[in-house]
Amino acid sequence: MFLYSLLAAAVVVTVALFLTPLRYKVWVATGVIVTAAIAAISLAVMALGGDEVTLAELTTLLGAESIAVDKLSSLFLIIISIASVATVLYSKGYVEGYLKRFSSAHIALHYTALVFLVVSMMVVVMSSGGFSFLFAWELMTIASFVLILFEADRHDVRRAALNYLVMMHIGFMFLVIGFVLLYNVTGSANFSAIMEYFKVEAPLPLFVILFIGFGMKAGIFPMHIWLPEAHPAAPSHVSAIMSGVMIKTGVYGIMRLMQGIDQNGELLYTIGLIVLLSGIVTGLWGVILAAMQNDIKRLLAYSSIENIGVILIGLGIAAVGHAAGSDLIGMCGLCGALLHTVNHSLFKSMLFFSAGNIYSKLHTTAMNQMGGLAKHMPITAMLMLLATLAICALPPLNGFVSELLIYIGMFNGVSDGHEVLYSVAGIIALSLIGGIVVLAFTKLYGVVFLGSPRSTHVAESSEVDSLRIGAMAIPAALILFIGLLPQYAIRPITVVAEAISGADNTIALNYFAPTLKAVSSAGWILLAIVLLLFALKHYLQSRTKIEEGPTWGCGFTALNTRMQYTGESFSEGLENIGKPLMKDTVDGRAVDKGEIFPKPHNYHIVHKDKVDSLLGQWWVRMLHRINEWVMRLRTGRVNNYITFALAFFIVVLILSLVGIL
Amino acid sequence: MLVVALSITGVINRTRALLAGRKGIRFFQHIYNVRLQLRKGSVYSTTTTALFRIAPVVYLGSTLLAFLFIPVADLEPLLSFHGDIILVAYLLALSRVAIVLAAMDTGSSFEGMGAAREALYGALVEPALMMAMATLALFCGYSSFADIFSTAQEMDVNLSIVLILVAYVFFIIMVIEAGRVPVDDPKTHLELTMIHEVMCLDYSGVDMGLIHIAGWLKNAIFAVIAANAVAVTISFHWWFAAPLAIIVTGVAIGVVESLRARNKLSRNITYILTIVAMAALVLLTGFLLIQNIEI
Repeated sequence: MFLYSLLAAAVVVTVALFLTPLRYKVWVATGVIVTAAIAAISLAVMALGGDEVTLAELTTLLGAESIAVDKLSSLFLIIISIASVATVLYSKGYVEGYLKRFSSAHIALHYTALVFLVVSMMVVVMSSGGFSFLFAWELMTIASFVLILFEADRHDVRRAALNYLVMMHIGFMFLVIGFVLLYNVTGSANFSAIMEYFKVEAPLPLFVILFIGFGMKAGIFPMHIWLPEAHPAAPSHVSAIMSGVMIKTGVYGIMRLMQGIDQNGELLYTIGLIVLLSGIVTGLWGVILAAMQNDIKRLLAYSSIENIGVILIGLGIAAVGHAAGSDLIGMCGLCGALLHTVNHSLFKSMLFFSAGNIYSKLHTTAMNQMGGLAKHMPITAMLMLLATLAICALPPLNGFVSELLIYIGMFNGVSDGHEVLYSVAGIIALSLIGGIVVLAFTKLYGVVFLGSPRSTHVAESSEVDSLRIGAMAIPAALILFIGLLPQYAIRPITVVAEAISGADNTIALNYFAPTLKAVSSAGWILLAIVLLLFALKHYLQSRTKIEEGPTWGCGFTALNTRMQYTGESFSEGLENIGKPLMKDTVDGRAVDKGEIFPKPHNYHIVHKDKVDSLLGQWWVRMLHRINEWVMRLRTGRVNNYITFALAFFIVVLILSLVGIL
Repeated sequence: MLVVALSITGVINRTRALLAGRKGIRFFQHIYNVRLQLRKGSVYSTTTTALFRIAPVVYLGSTLLAFLFIPVADLEPLLSFHGDIILVAYLLALSRVAIVLAAMDTGSSFEGMGAAREALYGALVEPALMMAMATLALFCGYSSFADIFSTAQEMDVNLSIVLILVAYVFFIIMVIEAGRVPVDDPKTHLELTMIHEVMCLDYSGVDMGLIHIAGWLKNAIFAVIAANAVAVTISFHWWFAAPLAIIVTGVAIGVVESLRARNKLSRNITYILTIVAMAALVLLTGFLLIQNIEI
């Protein structure tokens, strides 16, 4: 019943979106998404407060399944709802600029895909597994593919979208294989059957297959290469929802997998190690490449990869801790990972929205053409600053709270003597990630918003409409809430963590509550100190003369804006260290040291991923070879084709005689 | 603690003067300088935004809050909770972000250069800081400064050598964070070679004063942690740790500054990574020692 009503709703929404006049399509989409979000949030609240809420029971190809909301689903439902409402509100202003350029059907298709993406993500996190899960997963991929293709007249967009589609289907194949294996052994393809499977069969192969499948969506190294290509191509609100929420469905899958593992020591330990190590590699790889990028959206995409790494580090530490018998480490890591999932969806969507504001005014995402935007777009600059500080995990904002929980887990691991070496590896990785994130985002913010303009476009830019600002204010408010009052925000998280790990959450609550309360008061004290100092400074300055003048040029008077530090020069030091990870593509030529009177030069450098080029070369070459080989069969003569058909029948005959078919 | 913060610079200056054979400036000259700055007017660049004016306040504010978490041996800190070592590390990161963004705000190439270097060195030094803290947590089983140092005194003497190495790591971190020789020379007058000082080129008056005060506090934070680690093994009292922090760090920095030149900038990264490696080694040694003791 539920499914039929969902299908009927889908048809009605699609038709409605195609029929409404151009300007009102966004409101139809908003209405649908807000309704879905309200329904999802109320379901989530019900499930968080009590027992599972079952919406539908169904029998499919892969056995009995259900669409139900449990505690883990409800957390993800909340994340999806908040981000999608912000996204659809934001999209109005962003899409307005394209209304003249694209046909009505094009816009309608875009909004239909957006609605489908939101609903399919919700179904993904509600499905018990098996066919309905795979169906929703595939729908999610296709909807996001259509969304990326918004500016389909751009060559790079088409290329990135196709790249995305191919990568996602490789991941999808892994998932299909995994679920079919599961079904073959246990007779059910639900996530709950995984535990049974692990008891009967060797667990690791299935885990690895599903981990790869989910990892492809989440962007785990080395499957992350679609992210930095897809995000610059997609419109900003799409990037926001894809990076903020959609890749989290991969994390959701991994969490479900780990939930299936009954505190069964050895296995949980091995899996914890796999997750922890992939988290460390993903996080470091992502952040180093993020710091190198000179394109806002590429930088943000790599930073998403890094955040997935942080989440996995938390999950890994949690699993290793649980396996070693420490519920406290387990709860710390798990709560940290869950909260970081929430946090990342908030600040990353804000960052992509800001990037969208900039793109819609400047029509570029190349950082080195900006500068001084804070004067022209003050509110965007303020909101972006908030998101920047949050993603750098600085107190008193939300990113700090989740990283603190993961750190506490690891420090407990060190001090209790549980798995000291892995905890230390996690600490080193997380602190290095933390340090380089600061470099990456001070670069982003400094080059884009501060200093003086590097191109004339900046001077013509202005603040965006207030609906977009309003959409950005939703995550902003939540960032402040989680950062300043973490002791309240953690409660639902611990409930979910309890449901995943089976450990008692009172241990964690007793341990976290005082810490988080202290973090919260430290946050308020920090604000108070800053305000007091500001008042003091104001008082001291009120008695003196304040002047304005040009920036001090150290005695040089012919300063111009092109002498400012660019994004490229900002990360030069790190580049020398991170060189082995990248493959640069350079257009044009840099000024040679020997040129005494340099002529104008064109120089454009893109730091591409080494994995990208390695993987690209390798399988492109393979495909070419296979293609050539297959093409040899295409002779164009009918008699050859008839021979092939005959050969096929003979093979089938032999196979059936032997008994294989 | 406050005394430590106020006197370290004095000791450094006196040591330098002594070694150079000069009469030198007054011990508290730096405080008079700052008092003067706090009474002066300011010049702001027209390129800058409001962020530039708020940054020094955030810089000082976050350093001040971090400062409140640090105990001086048996003298309890004003604030303390489980996991405050992480908060302190991130508060220092916040102060760094504030000053780096302010430097970028001026649009000056010199300040951009300083900001880029500061961000890189800060990023690389972070693991060393965390590992040194993890070593402390490993020994004491706590993750707040107050608990670490109050339990540490009941420890086995075997570990004292490791603790002294931890103190050394903290000392080097202080040198890096404060931008002293051999990483950076605060007394240089060539902007191209500076890191820390070049970022506040455009600050004047009150702002400059605030930045100087934050610098003292930052020095004191690391000096006191290092002194605590040493004091644990000898005599765990504030009247021992505080002078230790002032005199040893002050003299050490003074001597280093008088006797050697600063590194070539390209060598700085190697220098910092050496410290990171050393911190890892110290942690490993500590871990092995602990394991032995338990067996």
